[in-house]
Amino acid sequence: MIDVLRAALRLPSAKIAVGILIVIAFLAIFGPLVAPFDPYAQNSKDLLQGPTLEHWLGTDDLGRDVFSRLLAGSTVSVLAAMQSVVVGLVLGALPGLLSVYLGRTFEWITLRIMDSFITLPFLVFAIAMTALLGNGLTQAMVAVGILIAPAFYRVTRAAALTVSHSQYVEAAQLFGATTAWVVRKHVWKKVFPAIAVTTASMTGASLVIVSSLTFLGIGIVPPEPTWGGLLATDLGNLYQRPFGPVVPALVIIGTVWALNALADALKDATTDAGAPPVSKQKRRELQAVPHGA
Amino acid sequence: MSTTASRFAARAVRTAAIITAATLLVSGCAASSGASSGGDDAQPTTLRWAFSLPTSWDPVTSRTGNDINTVSLAYASLTQIDKDGNVLPSLAESWKYSDDGKNVTFTLRPDLVFTDGTPLDAEAVKAFFERGKTQEDSFLKDQLATVDTVSADSDVDVTLHLTGVDYQIPALVAGRTGAISSEKAATDDVAKLSTWPVGAGPFKITEFVPESHATFEKNPDYWDADNIHIDTFELSVAPDPATLVAGIQSGSFDVATLPAAKIDEAKASGLTVTVAPSLAVSDVSINANKAPFDDPKVVEAFRYAFDRQEFVDVITQGQGAPTSQPFPEGNPAYNPEVDELWSYDPDKAKQLLKDAGYGEGDLTIEITAASFSEQGAEIAQSQLAKIGVNSTISLVPPGSSTWQSEVYIAKNPQLAIDGTIGRETPVQNLLAVYGPQGIMNLSGPNASDAFLAALQKVRETPLDDPGYQAALQDAVKAGVEQSPTNYIYSSPWIIASSPKVSELNLLPSQFRWEDVTVTQ
Repeated sequence: MIDVLRAALRLPSAKIAVGILIVIAFLAIFGPLVAPFDPYAQNSKDLLQGPTLEHWLGTDDLGRDVFSRLLAGSTVSVLAAMQSVVVGLVLGALPGLLSVYLGRTFEWITLRIMDSFITLPFLVFAIAMTALLGNGLTQAMVAVGILIAPAFYRVTRAAALTVSHSQYVEAAQLFGATTAWVVRKHVWKKVFPAIAVTTASMTGASLVIVSSLTFLGIGIVPPEPTWGGLLATDLGNLYQRPFGPVVPALVIIGTVWALNALADALKDATTDAGAPPVSKQKRRELQAVPHGA
Repeated sequence: MSTTASRFAARAVRTAAIITAATLLVSGCAASSGASSGGDDAQPTTLRWAFSLPTSWDPVTSRTGNDINTVSLAYASLTQIDKDGNVLPSLAESWKYSDDGKNVTFTLRPDLVFTDGTPLDAEAVKAFFERGKTQEDSFLKDQLATVDTVSADSDVDVTLHLTGVDYQIPALVAGRTGAISSEKAATDDVAKLSTWPVGAGPFKITEFVPESHATFEKNPDYWDADNIHIDTFELSVAPDPATLVAGIQSGSFDVATLPAAKIDEAKASGLTVTVAPSLAVSDVSINANKAPFDDPKVVEAFRYAFDRQEFVDVITQGQGAPTSQPFPEGNPAYNPEVDELWSYDPDKAKQLLKDAGYGEGDLTIEITAASFSEQGAEIAQSQLAKIGVNSTISLVPPGSSTWQSEVYIAKNPQLAIDGTIGRETPVQNLLAVYGPQGIMNLSGPNASDAFLAALQKVRETPLDDPGYQAALQDAVKAGVEQSPTNYIYSSPWIIASSPKVSELNLLPSQFRWEDVTVTQ
């Protein structure tokens, strides 16, 4: 697995993506601590100000420092996205792996459940869950996690199926290897890269959903700052702060791009396992060379 | 030029002339055949209003004061109020009290009809008031409590026999309480009235999609139809405030209520912005039936907790004014003494809480707010934190009935960010905010005897009596003192309209559309 990561990081886009994600991770952990102002402190004398040396990103409609709220909002936004990915991973990857080994009944039931999850739209299901269970980001993100579980289920099952029918696994079983040993020694090595790629891309997708939900005011309890919530506030005050949505939008876009770029690099590294990774540009150049006599 | 070319050019000119003539003929026919309020040669006019839909189209089951703005599109009331609060004729061309003040007889205009074609006569008015008093789900019972019986004395004379002297009746029936609905429609299917109004107002409904929009056409039988210059009226639920200005610019709607923060944007976009006096006052409603507000010391502490000027500066951007009572300054009911009772004093509030046994951070409450009142809830939360009270905010999602069912009917919240939009009469407003069945009395049915006695005194005082205003202001003070609710600030109407709409007809208590014109 380390080899896959090392191979992925040879790509320049992966290096930039990891750099961005390290910054975002730092903000998610330490953002509220490094914020220059109390992100909840209101100031009615300083409403909807533009950027100044004191307030780098200006102030919102209650006079709160937008930069501090952006930093403080990192924690909630990132953690919520990760929360849904963890739920999806547990509900998807584990049954996906077990569906290969626990017989046809378990396989049939889990496949039908996953098929039914695929038919549900993310936002509508998340809104319905918050209406049913109460307005909270945990409720909404558990709902989203349930809906991304099929992605984990399918990639895990596909990878496990391929390995479980390979000759070396069948040989190991003939020599008396247990299913647990086979999964640990052979299947896991093939399944893990697929899960890593899916985790990266699903985290990006979840972040977009978190931002969409909080933009709509769903899942958050005021005055909790979130990236989507900041975007919504700024869009309501575009006339006074026309630049307002730019920074929150860039942060969301940048993070999602970084996650997708990392997923892309991991996928390339997995696909080209054993061969040195090449950039997309290089690959296109190679494909352009005429082959044959 | 060659012969062929000149022949082609001549043919093109002839063809263009024929097409132009045909177009002019067709458009001329269309203009003259269209029903128009602006004269035979004018295009039919349409006005699109982004506002809200009523909680019910039936005046008897409509629940909030705000509903009068939309219900009055389909219904005419017995009387109407002018900008100064004077009572004017409407469906009733005159009224007269008996010498003892216990009976009031309204004389209707002759030949009035509802939009279903049935006559609006004394019997119809009698049937409406009786329905308001007896229908199980009526929200007019409280307002009609002083009406004992109703008699139809002739086709046009109807008398309200009162339980006692009440000189407020002519003003009371200028709003929903006197918005007469068709007796036939109520008899045929009373439930349908809540979604399909049948009145005798300026417009007749043609389409209603719940939570979306309603469309009306001009009612030619409206008693004041000559002053209605809008042929088609489209009412829709206002979108997110962020899109209001763009919505008017693009022609999606012509008139909308604006948040104060949008005034500059609307003006810069070339829209007309009207800021006019209203009766709207916002409050922090407190429920004395829920702990910790069942302790008078906590209630007293909260009296000093709110910096009203901060609400005015942030939410109304300075357009409103602080007030501690459910009436704005300048209203005859406004009592200057009340605003002197409790000034912002967080230290005193903290001390009172300490006396009640709550130290810093010991008390945690939940603030309930509609989603459009989030800003007010956050300011209240911040100010409560300054007196050592922790709070969480619970937002009630948008929808025409969610706030009503959660707050006005169930009275679930401990503390709610709310407000009154006012009523046609001060007594009606006092009943709504402080009365035993008052929809905005979160502590209902609590209402002190002193307040009810003061209110009765107002009812018994003729409106032109020199002592009327003093009696009214005494009732306001009694109401404020007996209620734990804190009134915070008043705000004006802030309306943006398209330049093609003429000057709006904004009364403090409601929108009217008489004399409003719109060019297409």
